Amino acid sequence: MPVREMNDLIQAGLDRAVELMAVAAHNSFRFGKRNTIRLVSLGVDDMKDIAEFCYSLGDMSPLAARDGRFLMELVKEPCALILIGDKRKSDLNYNCGACGYRTCAELNKAEETESLTAKGPSCQFKNINLNIAANAAAAMAWRLGLHCRVFSTLAFAAFALNKMEGVDVATSVSVSVAKVDPYFDRHQYWTQEHWDETFKKEFPTFTRGFIGAIEE
Amino acid sequence: MSMERSMKQFEDDRRESVRLAARLLLASGTTSPRVGGVGECTIHIIEDPCEIEELVQQVERMASDNKRWDFFKRDAAMLRDADAVLIVTSLRCKTDPADTNCNMCGKLTCEYLKETPELPDEPGVAYRGPLCIFRANNISYAIDGMVSLARNLGIDYGVFWSAGAAAMRMRIVPKATGFCLAMAISVTEKSPFRDIPAKYDEINETTMNDRIIKRLWPQFRSIYS
Repeated sequence: MPVREMNDLIQAGLDRAVELMAVAAHNSFRFGKRNTIRLVSLGVDDMKDIAEFCYSLGDMSPLAARDGRFLMELVKEPCALILIGDKRKSDLNYNCGACGYRTCAELNKAEETESLTAKGPSCQFKNINLNIAANAAAAMAWRLGLHCRVFSTLAFAAFALNKMEGVDVATSVSVSVAKVDPYFDRHQYWTQEHWDETFKKEFPTFTRGFIGAIEE
Repeated sequence: MSMERSMKQFEDDRRESVRLAARLLLASGTTSPRVGGVGECTIHIIEDPCEIEELVQQVERMASDNKRWDFFKRDAAMLRDADAVLIVTSLRCKTDPADTNCNMCGKLTCEYLKETPELPDEPGVAYRGPLCIFRANNISYAIDGMVSLARNLGIDYGVFWSAGAAAMRMRIVPKATGFCLAMAISVTEKSPFRDIPAKYDEINETTMNDRIIKRLWPQFRSIYS
């Protein structure tokens, strides 16, 4: 049996893990007993596109810019991004009212609003099904020992760049086999100016002389 | 110790296992991810049979409030067989939009969503939307966290929005609740949430027992009187 290098094994394992995550998402619990989600896995080039797009939104969304900077670092080690999306209209006929319309028929007839992030208005239960699928994929990644995080920002960017056809709302699950867990501690990806501004805003008593100082 | 264990002890231990499982499911649902890492959901355990029955009766009453809610009767019959019901709430979707301007609700900015009047408090309206869908999606993570653990524990479960809506209508959940789902669990040999007849509200164990008693009772009465 030929010797296989660690990097080959890790990449093959990651590819297999992504497939298993897709299966978990596909078979997750759902309302209406219908599986209408669409799911794709993106490669490194697509992730770089998303990172650049997120970074370009810096003035509008510091959070997207942060995640763009983060993604550029993430792709340097083995990683993958799963996109999960669905249509916005309701085929469940629950008439629950959560979307703001009395009936599903009214929701489906309502004027569609388009933006970079999603098309609306969308059915609450379709979104619940979508995010349960995302959570099931993330739970599978956790069981397999992968670093994992669910990202809305990256999904919004992928939606804007039309990385997945035929969906109106989307979310994404990012996994990595980096040597250090890259998620959940990303202060390094904030710019110093943004961090100073946020700190000043969120903790005014820290930077003021005394509590109750005059507002600027 | 050599004595045979009684059926009553089995029943007590079974109920204790439900109590334990419900609390573990609550832990799994509580620690599941939240959008932005901000607290949003609460989980409430209903395990007293009388309280479950009150909830079930509310679900049954709501079945006639909307022509699309006929399946509530079937849900109620299933919920009646549950050993415990966990109610999962979303506390921010109505009062505190996520400020992401995600447009999932159909409003281009969260400010527009705040200005949109909510649906009136009417019998045919379960949730008074429009809600912040981005926030309410947190419930999916909580529910899947609980489903995931229930599968690992081997607990039978069913997820019902009817019971969540009923809990909101009964006002037994926190006041800020905008969206609410319920998960019923059962520790029994046959899951009460699977393989369910289409007319389960009419044909179930209780109604079958009632029918047999009703058929036999007049004969018993005439014989023994």
